[in-house]
Amino acid sequence: MATFELYRRSTIGMCLTETLDEMVQSGTLSPELAIQSMTEALESQVKTKVTIKGHLHTYRFCDNVWTFILQDAMFKSEDRQENVSQVKIVACDSKLLTQ
Amino acid sequence: MATTTTTSGVYIHVIEDVVSKVREEFVNNGGPGESVLSELQGIWETKMMQAGVLSGPIERSSAQRPTPGGPLTHDLNVPYEGTEEYETPTAEMLFPPTPMQTPLPTPLPGTADNSSMYNIPTGSSDYPTPGTENGSHVDVKARPSPYMQPPSPWTNPRLDVNVAYVDGRDEPERGNPNQHFTQGLFVPSTGKRKRDDSSAQYQNGGSIPQQDGASDALPMATLVGDTLCITFVGDKRVPRDFICSSSKIPQVDGPMPDPYDEMLSTPNMYSYQGPSEDFNEGRTPAPNEIQTSTPVTAQTDVIEDDEELLNEDDDDDELDDLESGEDMNTQHLVLAQFDKVTRTKSRWKCNLKDGIMHINDKDILFNKALGEFEF
Repeated sequence: MATFELYRRSTIGMCLTETLDEMVQSGTLSPELAIQSMTEALESQVKTKVTIKGHLHTYRFCDNVWTFILQDAMFKSEDRQENVSQVKIVACDSKLLTQ
Repeated sequence: MATTTTTSGVYIHVIEDVVSKVREEFVNNGGPGESVLSELQGIWETKMMQAGVLSGPIERSSAQRPTPGGPLTHDLNVPYEGTEEYETPTAEMLFPPTPMQTPLPTPLPGTADNSSMYNIPTGSSDYPTPGTENGSHVDVKARPSPYMQPPSPWTNPRLDVNVAYVDGRDEPERGNPNQHFTQGLFVPSTGKRKRDDSSAQYQNGGSIPQQDGASDALPMATLVGDTLCITFVGDKRVPRDFICSSSKIPQVDGPMPDPYDEMLSTPNMYSYQGPSEDFNEGRTPAPNEIQTSTPVTAQTDVIEDDEELLNEDDDDDELDDLESGEDMNTQHLVLAQFDKVTRTKSRWKCNLKDGIMHINDKDILFNKALGEFEF
């Protein structure tokens, strides 16, 4: 039951983590289960496609995790576009998760 | 829901899904109970709303509060994104169940682990048999002693990674080393291994002997504390940040037989570019300690110096200062999974999927993303 702790850093993940931390005193639920549910739900729910363009400042591949740091990147979604001066992209190998 | 709240809708769905799945745990297993679960959900949703990513009434939430807005997003992010180590949870991601991180202060012991495994099949066929003899530790140790392995706890996760590298021929040995490592350190090598002749110096007793070589080039760079050992193998310049905390484990190098190098090239399939020669050329993760497969230590020192000099300019001080100076949470972040990452000269393309983007204080979810970057 391997899940990516990747999503723990997302807003939803961190909120959950904080909530779990607060709930520790009153009895802990299984964090793994909660996070796994979050991951599965996330994977099945998101349906948007995004295009990213930018200047790659840094790339890193370590333990099957790609980390890119982009500068002056443009994220183009279906109906909107975002521009950022600097963004970090952390990506795990999807093949590992589906093993 | 309006388009802008689609993300919010997804989040709500996620929360509900999680809570429903967890409810069984709470109620059936004698857990905290339904009330605690409800409280959990309420707090969770509250925080999400405070973060500004969740909006709209929530039927189950019993603690609805006005959303202060975006600025809290940073506050929430601070505790988690303040440290560099958290941001690149490489080992964590891959092996969450593993209590130990693969990395180790240096990849060296791990590589020694690999190297020992590599040598075993070629050195002698006796190793697999000891593996089966779990009972007689003493006798068996005589053979696997040359492992010179670090303590077993972290070798286990190590082995998991090794599986990806080695085709499996090391598996017979895996059961072995775990048992005998701690004691194997004190058993003199029996010369079974190829490297034993040169590895006599390894028998330091207390210290962790280590062999280096192309093994350092193993793509499985490890997460060391708050640094990453990059093991990008390619014909391009090697990524910077070779900060494998190499100063923690003494290291002794020895001659690397050619077959060893060949075997080491196998794990390079892991990375996108095969040959480990680039690493042998001198691009090693930790110039100070991890060395190329040069039999002569003196030569290695020279390479170290060259590498240090060469690596001096690799670090982009501006960016490093920038990254460490500003809070990491203010930096926009994309968390996703990648399907493919390719590079053509200086043009990078990557296919991402199932990602969360947090940019411009907004959360955007995506199912697929195509990135084109110029390096």
